[in-house]
Amino acid sequence: MSAANKKGVRANLGWTTRFWAVAKYELLWNVRKKKLIGMVILAFVFTTLGLVLPVILSNAAGLSVSQNSDYVINSGVGSIGFFLFALVTVMNSISGEFESGTIVTLLTKPVSRTMVFFGKLFAAFITLLAVNAVLFVYGAIGATVVYGPQNNLHLVPLLFLGGSISTFVWVGIVLAIGSLSKSSLIAALGAFGIFIALFISAPIVSLFSDQARVLTYVPGSGATGYIVGLGQQTAYTPGMAVSTGTDSIAANLITYVLHPSAQVSFFTISGFSGEQILWGTPLYTEPLSLVLLKSIIVATTYILVFLFIAWYAFKRAQILE
Amino acid sequence: MEPAIETSSLTKRYGSLTAVNKLNLKVERNTIHGFLGPNGAGKTTTIKVLVGLLNPDEGTVKVLGQEVHGDRPDVRLRMGYMPELPKLPKYLKGWELLDIYGRMYGMAEQERKEQIPKLLEMVGLKGREKDFIGKYSKGMQQRLGIAQALLNEPELVILDEPSLGLDPVGMVEVRELVKEIAKEGVTVFVSSHLLFEVEQICSHVTIIHRGVSLVSDTLQNISNKLSGPTILQVEVAKFSDAIVGSVKKLPFVSNVSQEGDKLIIELKTRDDVRSQVSQEITKSGGVIVSMSLKGQTLEEVFMQLITKSQGGKQE
Repeated sequence: MSAANKKGVRANLGWTTRFWAVAKYELLWNVRKKKLIGMVILAFVFTTLGLVLPVILSNAAGLSVSQNSDYVINSGVGSIGFFLFALVTVMNSISGEFESGTIVTLLTKPVSRTMVFFGKLFAAFITLLAVNAVLFVYGAIGATVVYGPQNNLHLVPLLFLGGSISTFVWVGIVLAIGSLSKSSLIAALGAFGIFIALFISAPIVSLFSDQARVLTYVPGSGATGYIVGLGQQTAYTPGMAVSTGTDSIAANLITYVLHPSAQVSFFTISGFSGEQILWGTPLYTEPLSLVLLKSIIVATTYILVFLFIAWYAFKRAQILE
Repeated sequence: MEPAIETSSLTKRYGSLTAVNKLNLKVERNTIHGFLGPNGAGKTTTIKVLVGLLNPDEGTVKVLGQEVHGDRPDVRLRMGYMPELPKLPKYLKGWELLDIYGRMYGMAEQERKEQIPKLLEMVGLKGREKDFIGKYSKGMQQRLGIAQALLNEPELVILDEPSLGLDPVGMVEVRELVKEIAKEGVTVFVSSHLLFEVEQICSHVTIIHRGVSLVSDTLQNISNKLSGPTILQVEVAKFSDAIVGSVKKLPFVSNVSQEGDKLIIELKTRDDVRSQVSQEITKSGGVIVSMSLKGQTLEEVFMQLITKSQGGKQE
């Protein structure tokens, strides 16, 4: 076949071949990143500790381990987990290419910048999904061994779905900062700054001011409300805790499926009496379905806005490296 | 057929610095075109505009007959590019990189299986293809950079300082490689600050300085246009005035002077007339000890142009 003919065939091979090539390029990078490998090992360690530590402590105290058939469905990656996985996976997806200078050879291949961007995003999605899946399977097997047969395992896909949406809010934020700054360090520090500011301020605003509603519209852990009558009522909590933030979509999805008519009340702390927390009158009460819907809409909006910013900055970037 | 590269009034600025200033460049097909200039002349900026990494501020750019402005994957499908000191992803193995880039070019599996080993052998990386690029030396990365530029059997190859970072043997190999590529009908546009390199491999040359094209023509024409007289230096034993007189009478000689036992003969022609001069000197009783022809080198032309563009002052 002549070179000209080959080129004709190549032009007809379409975008899927090229898209997969970009995704493979990024996937190989992801799975060989020491940061991600370290993070996965750490996640395995924490999952294992979460499973066996209660057993060890119970044995040490001479108590028997009680069965917990809801261990898997109540477990999941917390806010810090979503943030850290997103961070180590995409913090140098775009900016790292600029820093290392590999962007030059990559962008002179016959793939559009839009394809490079979405190929990388797709690879990040596959990586995060695979890591979550492996951790959940490991956790489910471990929980079955330690705590006996598990309930509601058919709801696990909802944990993946919710977890993916939550993670991608942080993916969008990290990518946007990385694309604008072309610096992995600024991407990491910037995103960490946003995360930690929200992580610390959210419970304070939620419990000590009457502005909890505002937290519905910010990424992260959000405002904390309670489903009175569900879960344990103790000196510290008036019911089952529910968070409005984008990081709680997975947990809220499961709770909604199990308790579709639940109502979430938001309180402020009015004071303390010894070890007892004195809860004020509810600021407002919303159906759980509305809390869930709002968090999904807010998360989707953040994902779209931040990914658009990241894509636009990448598409318009002049390659000076 | 349209030229491989054609720019018209191409201008690129970085803030207040004009890196490329109204550059008109024309690279004919099936030529090896040297792009020559000192460091900071605007060579890499021009190339980055040609391959779509930078957008021009003014002017038009056509590559392989298609206008380049912004993201044009269809143009890049037909060309290969090796950047100056290519930075390649260190987490990939040599063959993985070529395989992935091959997929980006839309090459079928069979084609990649044939092309990649051929290229690895050509650039001398056979046996090291399964090593991570991070373990490659600079020279090996440079070779892999050349291989990836040739992967798609391009119509046009742009090489930015291909010899940079290579040892002398590697430099010679790269020059031979460029000649081989050109023999297959590929247009090669090669930027360099090494004059001898351009002189050895290029048929056409554009000299750029401070973003402005000083000259663009065939190497031969540039030499003819800008060179001074060709000088023949002859060291003679048994020197006499008769020798000077008889050499002066030769029709292709414009002037003869004497420096010790050396005759400095200025020639009107660029033809090789050493045998005629030799005969004349011998006939006049002289004995030739040595003889050397001094034409103006590209280096001298280059320096002359650069000096002229700086208003006669040499940096």
